Amino acid sequence: MDSPIKILQDKNSYLDLRKQERVTLLEVLDRALEKGVVISGDIVISVADVDLVYLGLKVLLSSVETMERLRGAPLSGAAEEPT
Amino acid sequence: MDTEAVKKELLYLYCVTKDKPSSYNFEDLGIKTHPIYFQGTYAVVSKVSPDDFSEENLKKNLADMGWVEKNTRLHEKVIEEIMRDHAVLPFKFGTVFEKETNVEKLLRENNLEFKAVLAGLDGKEEWGLKIYCDSEYFKDALCRENERIKEKDKEITSAGKGKAYFLKKKKDEIIKDIINEKISEYTKDCFERLKITAVDTRINKILPKEVTEKKEDMVLNAVFLINNKRIKEFESVLAYLKTKYTDKGLIFDCTGPWPPYNFCGLLKGKIHNG
Repeated sequence: MDSPIKILQDKNSYLDLRKQERVTLLEVLDRALEKGVVISGDIVISVADVDLVYLGLKVLLSSVETMERLRGAPLSGAAEEPT
Repeated sequence: MDTEAVKKELLYLYCVTKDKPSSYNFEDLGIKTHPIYFQGTYAVVSKVSPDDFSEENLKKNLADMGWVEKNTRLHEKVIEEIMRDHAVLPFKFGTVFEKETNVEKLLRENNLEFKAVLAGLDGKEEWGLKIYCDSEYFKDALCRENERIKEKDKEITSAGKGKAYFLKKKKDEIIKDIINEKISEYTKDCFERLKITAVDTRINKILPKEVTEKKEDMVLNAVFLINNKRIKEFESVLAYLKTKYTDKGLIFDCTGPWPPYNFCGLLKGKIHNG
């Protein structure tokens, strides 16, 4: 399904708003995880959990190999490192 | 199939709307939502498996970036689809309920506030602007143009060896200061000019390079709530700013329209945005 989200990147693209481009995972995480209405459902994600996701993202972006390793193991060791 | 008799399904909340959503079955995404109604508000929910979203499993799953990417994108896409036709109040990823009556309770307890915020968001779009700075390019451009720096260069050329070393250090400090000064001047100009076209704005934290995966430094992370009748105006200001600052080393990354994640804070008394 096409996303309605557009990226205005080059100088002239404001004329071509409907251009489809891939929206980065970062943009999605930056909003869906950090923003939006926060009201306690029966289950919610805590701030500490969000930090874990960012740590995971950092690891993912810096090294796919490391991530493969971490997928098989809990992130708890890495979580002690402050971000 | 699972052998456990009946795993209790959970309800995942995407967003709240004031009109009944016209689409609900998103086959491409493999998600079928249904609305839960209470006095002029609809909660858009879908059934999810406790394998994904029970308290215990959710914690585990958040450590799996593959799972996080897939599910945050689904969250986003469902809300984007509904946003095509309705003003939406997007909820944070991972807001989950055990039963329908709990969702109704949420709608009941926040009825007036949800309605007020939705009314304020009607006909408006969230646009994000991240500005990055190519530091090397920026520095080169600055050294060519800035009089204070050029003057220091002259002093260095005419100074003796020992003094030249000291002067160079001094020059580097001046460059650093001027860079910071200029970046804050440019980004402030960008923000203020775009702000004029907006109903509301937020400045978010600067994200580090490890997360942005760019070689340039992020120097502004802002969001704008724009009346959809003024989008063209927002775009032309943006085009003007690009023309003005691209040669100076700034890179513009503008995205939208997003669900208004940044403008749905339910703070008492702060919900009316013109």
